[in-house]
Amino acid sequence: MELLVCIKQVPDDSVTVTLDPATGGPQLKDITPVVNAFDTYALEMATRFKEANGGSVTVVTIGDEAALTPSLRSCLSVGAEHAYVVTEPAAVSALGKSYLLGKAAGKLAEGPFDVIFCGCESTDTADGQAGVQLAEQLGLPVITNVLELEPKDGGISAKQETEEGYRVVEAPCPCVVTVTKPAYEPRYPSIKSKMAARKMPIGTLSAADAGAEEARVAAAPAKRVVLAAPPQRQSGVKIQEKEAAESVRRAMEMLAGQKLI
Amino acid sequence: MQNHGILVYMECADGQPVKAGLEALNAAQRLAAQQGGKPVAAVLLDSADAAAEVGAYGAAEILSAQVGGYQAECYAAALTELCQRYEADCLLMGSTRDGKELAARVAARLGAGCVTDANGLSEQGWVRSVYGGSLLETVAVEGTAVVTVRSGSFGKPEREEGRTASVQEETVAIPEVRAVIRDTVKELAEMVNLEDAEVIVAGGRGMGSAENFAMVKELADLLGGVVGASRPAIEEGWVPRNHQVGQSGKIVAPKLYIACGISGAMQHVSGMSGSGYIVAINKDEDAPIFDVADVGIVGNVNEILPLMIEEVKARKS
Repeated sequence: MELLVCIKQVPDDSVTVTLDPATGGPQLKDITPVVNAFDTYALEMATRFKEANGGSVTVVTIGDEAALTPSLRSCLSVGAEHAYVVTEPAAVSALGKSYLLGKAAGKLAEGPFDVIFCGCESTDTADGQAGVQLAEQLGLPVITNVLELEPKDGGISAKQETEEGYRVVEAPCPCVVTVTKPAYEPRYPSIKSKMAARKMPIGTLSAADAGAEEARVAAAPAKRVVLAAPPQRQSGVKIQEKEAAESVRRAMEMLAGQKLI
Repeated sequence: MQNHGILVYMECADGQPVKAGLEALNAAQRLAAQQGGKPVAAVLLDSADAAAEVGAYGAAEILSAQVGGYQAECYAAALTELCQRYEADCLLMGSTRDGKELAARVAARLGAGCVTDANGLSEQGWVRSVYGGSLLETVAVEGTAVVTVRSGSFGKPEREEGRTASVQEETVAIPEVRAVIRDTVKELAEMVNLEDAEVIVAGGRGMGSAENFAMVKELADLLGGVVGASRPAIEEGWVPRNHQVGQSGKIVAPKLYIACGISGAMQHVSGMSGSGYIVAINKDEDAPIFDVADVGIVGNVNEILPLMIEEVKARKS
């Protein structure tokens, strides 16, 4: 099967993002860009699916080619065989981006794709809309929050995470899946796979190449109007006695003083 | 056709509205008040039995449709059709996994703006966390809005015994389903109510093992509280994922929160910093959890917790 994985580059989510007072936007300048964690799970799931069932894995992203090349190279070193950037600065909303991705997917040489993988959400804006809206705009079935995936009767069968457990969901191909944290971790690249990835081509196409209408790419019915720092809590007392028992005694007295125990 | 203004999809389980749905109703009522008293209609799909309960919580009207059991494609089609039929300005629902999927689907079909995980409402728009809770953004929506409401943010509306809403039976077109739900498996039998807990004792990676994590439960039980956890403890398998507090879990605000062996990543802190009083136990004196703690104990949590448990027992007897 031909598999496509949509990825987004995000600031490293282990770093606290502060407000840039000059612009009113997020201060991202010193934060390492990485591939969104859920997209790395999606790539790993696609790669395992390919290894078990045959086919190839292509990754696609939207934005600036130079800025995205390291992320795409890292995808090429852990399972992807082909990589593309849609160079389009106007796509900002989930609706616009998913429309553009859908259009671009239809133009890639490796397509048509049987399964399109997306992370279930990104760690930066956490909208969780792009994968679902990609499917809606392509008129394809979608299975969200996928934990496991296998081929079945020419289509796929997936284990979908729910609040209380899971569901078994089946869909015909072509279809879209959004991937949550599976039971395994994404693989690490080897020196050999890293070297090989450096030599692999990265394709580019514009919104016009993809045949996307400008107005739909730029559509953003929901827009950020204010970005602010959340209210900060004051830190209180830090207790570090030589004896643990003494630390505990002091802490418990404070709790008793607050009538909390 | 009457413009219903604001629609709330009331997610139900076993014939009763789920908490996330009731919170969405509360958010809808706040929005209605802000916009000059628009009517709020609750949508029930395959859950006509829940009408009395939803009426008691204050929906002005109930739109009830039979869709033939949960299939996301059918529910999305029904909600889209009802939004169009009643020219809704805003469709709200709880931020459950299903809620988020339905919201994104309906928004794409309506060409509407979609806001995920709203945790507040200001004059300018819906407020939500971004960058793992590091920052808050306000989102303004032009035209129709589809909004999911973060659990633990808006609270449930007042319930008035005997208050009722008129129920309108709706007929909607049911599409042929492509992504078919074949089986539903409940793995997590135990209900965990972190949002309403007055005391939460939570454990993280620093607990070190499932055996040690049992002390978190022991202290929670002694204090009449609920067990919480940070993501690493969930991923280690020490506690089921419905105990998770933080960005990918629950937003909580108990009177007392005791964080045991939790370093205090932003994703966790943003889910519990609304707590009344925070106690943190961590061996690393520079752990960011101490920045939000009212009382921080620097020390080995596996040495501190048994002493704390003894002390609580002694005070109780």
